[in-house]
Amino acid sequence: MVSRLRTYCAESCLAVLMAGAILAACLLAPTESTMGHAQRIIYVHVPVAWLGLVGFLVMAGSGLAYLSRRNLAWDHWFQAAGELGWLCCGLTLATGSLWAHEAWGTWWEWDPRLTTAFILWAVYSGVLLVRAGIDDPHRRARVGAVLAVLGALDVPLVVMATRWFRGLHPATPEMAPWMRLTLLICVAAFTVFFAWLANRRREQLELDSRWVHLRQDS
Amino acid sequence: MAAFWWIVHKDLVSEFRSRRVWPAMLLLGIVVALVFSLQVELLAEQKQQIVGGLLWLSVFFAGAMVFDRSFAAERDEGCWDGLKLLPVSPGAVFLAKWTVNVLALAALESLLIPLFFVLSDLPLAAHAWQLALIAALASPGLAAVGTLVSGLATGGGKGGNGLVLVVLPLVIPVLLAAAECTRLAVAQQIDEAWWRWLQLLGVFAIVFITAGTLLFEYAIED
Repeated sequence: MVSRLRTYCAESCLAVLMAGAILAACLLAPTESTMGHAQRIIYVHVPVAWLGLVGFLVMAGSGLAYLSRRNLAWDHWFQAAGELGWLCCGLTLATGSLWAHEAWGTWWEWDPRLTTAFILWAVYSGVLLVRAGIDDPHRRARVGAVLAVLGALDVPLVVMATRWFRGLHPATPEMAPWMRLTLLICVAAFTVFFAWLANRRREQLELDSRWVHLRQDS
Repeated sequence: MAAFWWIVHKDLVSEFRSRRVWPAMLLLGIVVALVFSLQVELLAEQKQQIVGGLLWLSVFFAGAMVFDRSFAAERDEGCWDGLKLLPVSPGAVFLAKWTVNVLALAALESLLIPLFFVLSDLPLAAHAWQLALIAALASPGLAAVGTLVSGLATGGGKGGNGLVLVVLPLVIPVLLAAAECTRLAVAQQIDEAWWRWLQLLGVFAIVFITAGTLLFEYAIED
C-alpha cells in the first residue's frame, strides 16, 4: 500500500515536471527573432539527442556489468535502455530534420554531426535486431554487450563532431537566459521521464523472464 | 608469441594451399570496381570527388568476405572447440586472425587502388605515398571490427547471420575518414584537414584493435 502510494506520488511529480517543461517551451521561452516559433523544436530535439547518447552509454555500461557479473538483471537494463535510446535517436533525426528544413532549407545535410547521429541510430538498430534473433538469454546478453561496447566507441565521435570538424550544425549557439533556462528544464524533465520509462520497461522484462522460468519449471 | 605466429602461419599456408577465400575476395573487388566505373560517367573533377568513397566501399564489400571466413576453417573442420581450448590468451588468437585479415586487405587494396585510378583516369603515382598511408591506417580498424564480429558469429547458431547488419554501421567512421582522406589527397589538398582525418583513422585503428583484443574472450564463449 505504501509503495503503491509512493509510486503514485512519484508518477504525479513526473507528470507535473513534463507538463511544466511543455508549458515552458511553449510559453516561457521567448520567440526567436530569425526562425520564429519553429525554433521551439530544439526544446524537444536537444533533450532527445542527449538521451540518445545517454541510452547508448547506459546500454554499454549494462553490457560491461553483465560481462563481469553474468547477472541477467543487467541485460534487462540493457534492453530497456537500448529500446528507449533507439527511439530517442530516431526522434533526434526526425526533429532535427524539421528544424533543418526551416533553418537550412533542406531536410538533410551530410553534416558531420548529422552523419554521426545517423551512424549511432544504425548501430542501435543493428544491435537490437541481432539480439532479437537470439533465443538463449545469456548468449543474447553476451553478444549484445560486445556489440554495444564496440558501438559505444562511436559516441565520443558524435559528441565531438562539431568541435573537430566544421559543419552546418551549430556547436554551442548563443541563447537568451530564458531560452537557456527552458532548455535546461526540458532536458531535466525528459531525462527523468526516460529513467522512469526505462525502469518500467526493465520491470516488464524481469516479469517476462520470471514467467518464462516458471513455465519451464512446471 | 609463438602461438600468435603459429596461427598466422597456419592460416596463410592453408589459404595459399586451398585458395578458398582470397581469389574470391579479389574477384569481388574487381567486379565491384568495374560496375562502379561503368555506371559513373563523370568529368575528371567530379570523379576526384567520388573515387574515395567508391574505392573504400569496394574494399569493405570485398573485405567482408574475408572477415566472414576468418574462422570458417576451424568451424567447418570441427576445430572450433580446439581453438578455444588452446592454452593461449584469446587476445593472442584475435591478434593472429586480425593480422591475417590485415594482410588480406593489403593484398586487396594493392589491386583495387591502382585499378580504381586507372578506371577513373586519375594519376596514381602522384598520390602513392598518401594512399599507402591511408590504407595502412584504415585496414587495421576495418580488420579489427570484422574479426571480432566474425568471432561472435562463429560462436553461435541462429543469431550469427544477422551480425552482418551491424558491421557496416560500426565501420562507417573508418570508411568515411578513409574516403575523405582519399578525396583530399586526390585533390592535392594535403593540409591540416587531411592530417586530422588521418589522425582519426589512426585513433580508430588503435581503439578498435584494443577493444577487439579485450572483448574477443567474451565473443567466442559458448
